[in-house]
Amino acid sequence: MSVMEIDNLTRDYGKGRGVFDLSFSVEKGEVFGFLGPNGAGKTTTIRHLMGFIKPKKGGCIIGGKDCWRDSAAIQKTLGYIPGEIAFFDDMTGTDFLNFTMKYRGTKANGRVKELLDRFELDPRGKIKKMSKGMKQKVGIIAAFAHDPEILILDEPTSGLDPLMQNRFIELIIEEKAKGKTILMSSHMFEEVERTCHRVAIIKDGRLVAMDSVDALKAAQVKKYVITLESAKDATEFAKESLTVAGVVQNHVTVTVGSNIRELIALMNRYPVINISAPSQNLEEIFMQYYGGSK
Amino acid sequence: MFNFTLYKRGMQGSWKMLLIFAAVLTMYFTIIISMFDPALGSVLNEFAEAMPELMAMVGMTPSSTTMLGFMSAYLYGFIMLIFPMIFSILSANKLIARHVDNGSMTYLLAAPVKRRTVAFTQMKVIASGIFALTAYATIMGIIACELSFPGELEIGKFILLNLGALCLQLFIGGICFLCSCIFNDTKYSIGFGAGIPALAFIIQMMANAGAELENAKYATFFTLFNPDGITAGETGAIWGMVTLFVGAMVLFISAITIFNKKDLHI
Repeated sequence: MSVMEIDNLTRDYGKGRGVFDLSFSVEKGEVFGFLGPNGAGKTTTIRHLMGFIKPKKGGCIIGGKDCWRDSAAIQKTLGYIPGEIAFFDDMTGTDFLNFTMKYRGTKANGRVKELLDRFELDPRGKIKKMSKGMKQKVGIIAAFAHDPEILILDEPTSGLDPLMQNRFIELIIEEKAKGKTILMSSHMFEEVERTCHRVAIIKDGRLVAMDSVDALKAAQVKKYVITLESAKDATEFAKESLTVAGVVQNHVTVTVGSNIRELIALMNRYPVINISAPSQNLEEIFMQYYGGSK
Repeated sequence: MFNFTLYKRGMQGSWKMLLIFAAVLTMYFTIIISMFDPALGSVLNEFAEAMPELMAMVGMTPSSTTMLGFMSAYLYGFIMLIFPMIFSILSANKLIARHVDNGSMTYLLAAPVKRRTVAFTQMKVIASGIFALTAYATIMGIIACELSFPGELEIGKFILLNLGALCLQLFIGGICFLCSCIFNDTKYSIGFGAGIPALAFIIQMMANAGAELENAKYATFFTLFNPDGITAGETGAIWGMVTLFVGAMVLFISAITIFNKKDLHI
């Protein structure tokens, strides 16, 4: 049963910006990664889901309700982390969390306390004076405080340090186990790899690809930079039966699919002084997977 | 249709401003009332004779020598128009447009609260502020008169005059609130929300000042508030009050409807 359905959603802002004939759905209990470069239309799609803007063509439905007409009813069981978090002036974190709870009509529960501990946040200071990461934590806690069934998260870990990113991923994994439906836009491969069932990528407002994360991982091509003793060694190493992406002085960049053993065997025969795996961004991996199609 | 938590927050955000305006009104009311002299006319009347045009521009042309006529001329031609108006301008922008502009509207709408409820609640905040200021002016005016000149003020008519001022201020509040709901940008919300009432007020001043510009009065809604007419019980002036009140309701309803339907890029 699909919880979120986006059907032929179109919103043209001119100059190729907006979303065009976008259709996909998120099933109940699914964690769905929503990816794409900046300006691809992720936030526009999310604004439609939140009922902030009215679709020009097509539409979207959450839990059988129309996102524009019934947004208030949908919001009862929905948690949202905006891409750009803006709070009210002059509130402290505590004021803000109390305000959202009362405003939503949520009964006080232990959830806020638990989340504050989990993210090691002291919410007593003025939000205006908080760091980006602290503000992000307040946003996360506000989104999860009423224990929503559905979550829409727009780059939820931006501004968090690696430790806290990890805590967040753990939180998502727990929510996933509870059967929550989650739509999450992200730039971080690890975040998506560890949490999502399926991933969709959009570019220029159109859906380019959609597949399971397992399929993505299986087909993932890894990149390694191997540093040899001299440039001469590097040139020779590059001549071996490997897919070479480039040689710069004594560094060779190779791409490896399932033949990692072959690479290891080869490295044994050469004077290798270092090996590193540069982090690849998610879009890069995904585009590679789809043969770099534009 | 109404969210108490949001209303409370709105009122918390307005009370300091209300306090300042109340203090300013108290100062003007007590000073001007103290200048009233039932026997000899007033120092202010001498001003009016010395600078008839300037005093006319700001509506200070007493038509009678009673306390009510005196207050209606010296307080309800300028002071009671300007100060609540500034409150409306500042408050309206803060309640909707600023939240849209800086993005905090997200948190008001990412909740099981209808947009209509958000707009209606914020409207009640501004209407409550206007009501509180006018009610305060009424009570404070009565007390100040009774303390310095017991029995001089016709209280019933004075209350009616304030009811007229309330209708006018609600109408101004309606304009400001409508602008706040239409524009996503604070600078336009303030620009139009302050610009329209200010322009109307300037036209009113011009119409008051010169005979050749008298027809300009048809170009401003301030003409609908006629303090002398109200205190004299003229039918036309009462209809003016009613028109302003109905106009205010139309403006508020339009504002809520527009906000309910517009796209928000937050």
